[in-house]
Amino acid sequence: MLQNYIPILILFLLAAGFGLGVVVISMFLGPRRPDPSKLSTYECGMEVEPGARQRFDVKYYLVFMAFLVFDVEVVFMYPWAVRFQKLGLFGFVEMLIFLLILLVGYVYIWRKGVLEWE
Amino acid sequence: MNFQMADLQLLAPHIVVLATALLVLLAEAFCKGERKGYLAYLGIAGIVVAALLTPRLFGPQRLGFSGMLAGDGFAAFFYFILYAVGILTLLVSQNYLRDERFEHGEYYALVLLALVGMMLMAGATHLMVVFLALETMSIAIYALAGYFRTERSVEASLKYFILGGFASGFLLYGIALIYGACGTTQIYDVMAYFKALPALTSSPMALAGIGLLTVGFGFKVAAVPFHAWTPDVYQGAPTSVTAFMATGVKAAAFSAFLRVFVVAFQGTHVEWSGVLWVLALLTMTLGNLTAIAQTDVKRMLAYSSIAHAGYLLVGLVVGTPEASSAMMVYLLAYAFMNIGAFACVIMVGRYGQENTSLDAYAGIGFRFPALGLAMAVFMFSMAGIPPTAGFIGKFLIFKAAVHEGYYWLTILGVLNSAASVYYYLRVIITMYFKPSPDEPAVDGLRVGPSAALATVLAGVGVLYLGIIPGGIIKLAEQAVRFMG
Amino acid sequence: MSHFPYLSTITFIPLVGALVLLAMNRRNVGLIRGWTLAVAAVNFVISLALWARFDPAVGGMQFMERKAWIASLGIQYFVGIDGISLWLVLLTTFLTVICVVSSWGVEKQVKEYMLFFLVLETGMLGALISLDLVLFYVFWEAMLIPMYFLIGVWGGTDRIYAAVKFFIYTMVGSLLMLVAILVLYFLNIKAGNAPTFDLLQLYQLPIAPNVQFWMFAAFCLAFAIKVPMWPLHTWLPDAHTQAPTAGSVILAGVLLKMGTYGFLRFAMPLFPNAAQAWAPFMMTIAVVGIIYGALVAMVQTDVKKLVAYSSVSHLGYVMLGLFALNAQGVAGGIYQSLNHGISTGALFLLVGVIYERRHTREIAEFGGLAKQMPAYATVFLIITMSSIGLPGLNGFVGEFLIMLGTFLTSKTAAVFAASGVILAAGYMLWMVKRVFFGPLDNEKNQNLADLNRLEWGYLLPMVFLAFWMGLYPGTFLRKMDATVELWLSRFEAKREACLELDRPDAAVAFRVETENQ
Repeated sequence: MLQNYIPILILFLLAAGFGLGVVVISMFLGPRRPDPSKLSTYECGMEVEPGARQRFDVKYYLVFMAFLVFDVEVVFMYPWAVRFQKLGLFGFVEMLIFLLILLVGYVYIWRKGVLEWE
Repeated sequence: MNFQMADLQLLAPHIVVLATALLVLLAEAFCKGERKGYLAYLGIAGIVVAALLTPRLFGPQRLGFSGMLAGDGFAAFFYFILYAVGILTLLVSQNYLRDERFEHGEYYALVLLALVGMMLMAGATHLMVVFLALETMSIAIYALAGYFRTERSVEASLKYFILGGFASGFLLYGIALIYGACGTTQIYDVMAYFKALPALTSSPMALAGIGLLTVGFGFKVAAVPFHAWTPDVYQGAPTSVTAFMATGVKAAAFSAFLRVFVVAFQGTHVEWSGVLWVLALLTMTLGNLTAIAQTDVKRMLAYSSIAHAGYLLVGLVVGTPEASSAMMVYLLAYAFMNIGAFACVIMVGRYGQENTSLDAYAGIGFRFPALGLAMAVFMFSMAGIPPTAGFIGKFLIFKAAVHEGYYWLTILGVLNSAASVYYYLRVIITMYFKPSPDEPAVDGLRVGPSAALATVLAGVGVLYLGIIPGGIIKLAEQAVRFMG
Repeated sequence: MSHFPYLSTITFIPLVGALVLLAMNRRNVGLIRGWTLAVAAVNFVISLALWARFDPAVGGMQFMERKAWIASLGIQYFVGIDGISLWLVLLTTFLTVICVVSSWGVEKQVKEYMLFFLVLETGMLGALISLDLVLFYVFWEAMLIPMYFLIGVWGGTDRIYAAVKFFIYTMVGSLLMLVAILVLYFLNIKAGNAPTFDLLQLYQLPIAPNVQFWMFAAFCLAFAIKVPMWPLHTWLPDAHTQAPTAGSVILAGVLLKMGTYGFLRFAMPLFPNAAQAWAPFMMTIAVVGIIYGALVAMVQTDVKKLVAYSSVSHLGYVMLGLFALNAQGVAGGIYQSLNHGISTGALFLLVGVIYERRHTREIAEFGGLAKQMPAYATVFLIITMSSIGLPGLNGFVGEFLIMLGTFLTSKTAAVFAASGVILAAGYMLWMVKRVFFGPLDNEKNQNLADLNRLEWGYLLPMVFLAFWMGLYPGTFLRKMDATVELWLSRFEAKREACLELDRPDAAVAFRVETENQ
C-alpha cells in the first residue's frame, strides 16, 4: 500500500532538491561585490523609514476581513460547479441560499460603511 | 446526497432562528436611530415561531440529510431548553445594553446565530455536524464575550478564543481518529461498528479518539482540568453574555456530549466512564472549593457553574437513559436559575459600575424585597434545596447514579452539594443578615420591564420545576426513549 | 377515614396566610400581627378537630390523603397521622400561636418575620404528616429556610455564624439520608415491587441486616444531628442562644422533635435489625449526652445557654427511651418529646421576658428577682420543676416511663441516666437560686416590672399544660397506646423476617402477614 506513495515522495524530494539546489548553486557561482547601498533594504535610493511599527487605518483590516470571507466563498463554489450536473435542482437551490446569506452579510457591511474609504 | 422535502421539517426551527438573525442584522443596517433594543423582541418572536414548529419533532426518531440531523424527542427537548435560554437572555440583555449604552442590533444577531449553532449541536447525529455547529456557536460567543470592548471584556474574548480554538483542534483530531477506527463519523454507524467489532474497544486509535473528544467537550462544558478559562471569561464578559454562556453553551455541549458518548460510544462505556468518574469528582470538588473562596458574585457564579458541570458529568458517567433524562431536566432547571441569578446581578449594577463584589449586596434584601426574594430563590435552587428546580435536578441525577450502583460518586456528590450551600448562603447572608451601610454602593436598581419579566419567568420556572415537575420529567423520559 | 382533608388544610393554611401577608403594606404592623395570629389560631382550632376525631383504637394511619405527585417515579402526595404524630402536630399548631403572641414586641421587619413563621409552620406540619419519603424530604429541607432566616435576621450578635452552622450541619446529614432513601427505593424495585416512595409499603420490604446497617447509619446521622445527640450537638447551643425568643421556642419545641420523630417514623421501623444492633451504642451516647449536657449546663453563665444545654440532656432521655425498644420506653420517649416542647419552650419564653427588660441573660447580673417580680418568679419556678421532673408536673411522667423502659433493657444505662436527673435538679435549681433569691443588689433590677397581660397570655397556657400533662397523662397516652403497640409488633415482625432473609420463603410469608394486618 505504501508503494503507492513513492511517486509523491520522489516528487517531494525533487522539489525540495531543486529549491535548495538553486540557492546553493547561486551562492557558489554568483559574483559578490557588496557595497553599502547594495546591502541596504530596498536599494532604490530612498532613505529607509525607521521602525515598522506604525498604525494602520482600521479600514485595512475591515476590507481584508471582507476579502477573506468572499475569497473563501469561492472555494466552495469550485467543487459545486464540478458536480453541478449531478446535484441538480437541489444543489442549485442550496447554492442560492448560501449566496443569499453571503449577500445579507455584504449588504450589512455595505450599509455599515465598511466599503467607503473616506 | 439524497434530499427529501420532509428533511426540511427537521431543520425548520433552525431555519427560522437563522432567518431571524439575518433579519435582525438587516434591520440593524437599514433602520435609523442609535438604539436598537427593540430588535430583542424581534429575536424573541423568531424563537417563539421556532418553538411552535418544534413539538412535531417529539415522537419516533427520524434522521434527515443523509443521517446528519436527527428529529427526535432528545433534540426537541434540548431545543426547548435553548429557546428558554435564548428568550431569557434576550430579555435580560435588552435592559442591560440600554443601560450600558451598547444597544446595537449585532448583539441580538450574534445571540441568535449562537443559538442556531447550539440547536444544531443538539440535533446533530454526525460528528462533522457536531464540529461545525460547535464552531458556529463558539465564534458568535467569542464575539459576544468581547462585546463591551473594555480591557476585561476583550481579554475574556481573546482568552476564550485562543483556548477554544485549541480545544476545537482536540475535538477535530478526535473525530479524525474515530473516522480512522470506524470508517465513518455518523453517530449511529459508529455505534453499530463498535457493536459489530468488539475488538475495537481495545483499539488504541479508537480510545485515543474518545480521549480527545473528551478533552474537546470537557473544555466546552468547563470540566476540570479543562476549566482554567472559565472564571476569567465569565467575569470579563458582559453579564448577560456570561449567563448565556453558562446555560446555553453548557446545555448544547452536554447535548452533543451525551449523544456522542452515550449513543456512539456505548460499547466502550466501561472504558470512558472511569475517566469521566474522576473528571466529575474533580469538577464538582474543585468548582465548589474555589467558589467558597470568592468574594465577587460574578466570579463565584463562574466557579459554581464549574461545580454544576460536575454534577451533570455524574449523569454522563452513569450513561443510562434514566441519567440522560435527568441531565436534561437538570439543564433546564439550571437555565432558569442561572439566568435568573445573573439577571439579579445585572440589576444590582449600574452604568460603569458593575457592583459585583459581595460587599455591595449588604442589606439589599430588605431594601429591595422583590430582588432579594428572587435572588434568594435562585440561590436556594442552585444549592439544591427543595422545593426548587435545583433540588429536582440533583435528585434525578443522584437517583440515576444510585440505580447503577455508583454509591461513592453519589455520596461525594451530595457532600459537595452540602459544601456548595455555604457560598450560596453567603449571598443571602449578605443580602439579609448584614446591615445596609450608611452609603450603600447600590442606591437603586436598573430594572426595566424586560429584565423584570425575565426574572419573574425564571423564578416561576424554578418554582414550577420544583413543585410540579411531573410533566417535565415524564417528557424528558419519553424524549430519551428514541435516542438509540 | 374522614372525607374532609384535615391534614392538607392545616398544613397549607399557614402558607396561604403567608402569601396574603405578602400583599400587605409593611407599615401596617398591627394588621400584619393580627392577621398572622388569626391564621395561626384558626389553624390551631382546626387541628383540635383532628384531635377530637382521632380514633384511639386504631394504631395505624388515620386521615390519610393520597394523590399522585410525580407519577413516573412513584412519588406521591401521601399524608396521614397516627398516635405518634398526632401530638406533635398539635404541639406545632399550639406553639405557633404562642410564638406569634410572644413575638408581639418584634419591631424589625415585622412582615418578613411573620411570613417566615407561617412558612415554618407549613414546613413543620408537612414533615410530620408526610408518608412519602420524597415528600418528607422536601418538607424536611424546606423547613430549614425560614428557620435560617429567623435566626439570621432577628437573632443576636453572632447570628450569622449560628445560622450557617445550623443550616450546614442539618444539610450534610439530610443529604446522606437522601442517598439512603434512593438506595431503599431501588432495593424495593429490585425486590420486584412497583417503584414507590410510599413509607407504608417500604415498611414491608425485608432488607438484609448488613445492608440495613449502612442505611440506618445514613438515616441516623440526619436525625441524630437534628435531635441533636452528643457529639453532633454543637450547632444547638449556638442556634438557641442566637435565635430570637420565638425562634428558640419553635426550635426546641418542634424542630428538635423532628429528629426523634424521624427515628420513630423512619430509621427504626425501616431498619429494625440495624436499630437493634445499634441500640447499645445509641443508648451509650444518649447517656453520655444526658450527663454531658447536664454538666455543661451547670457551668453556663448565660441563662439561655443553660437552657440550651439542658435540651441536649433532655433529648438524651428521649433517645434513651426510644432505643430501650419496649412499650414503656417508646411511649415515654414520645411523651418526653412533648414535655420538652412545653417546658423548654416555656423556659425560653421566660428567658425572653427577662431579656426584653434587661437586654442581658448573664446569671451574675441578676439576683433577688423574686422580690421585684413575684409572679414571674412563680411561673419560672413551676416550669423549672416541670423541667426537672417533679411529680405532679409533666416532666415526671415522661422520665419515669423512660427510666422504667431503660431499666428493663439495660440496668447500667438506667443507673447513669438517673444520675442525670439529679444533675438536672442541680443546675436548674442553682440557676433559679442565683437569679431569683438572695439580695436584690443590682440597681438595674430594682425597677423591673412584673409580667404584663400579654406575657400572662402566652405563659398561662404553658403552665396549664404542664399541670395537665403531669396530673392526667391518660389524655395523651391513651391516644398513642395503640400506635406504640403496633409500632413495636411491626418492629419485631420485620426484624425476625429480615433475620431469616436467607430463607427465601420467609420474606414472602412476612409480606403476606403484614398486609393482612
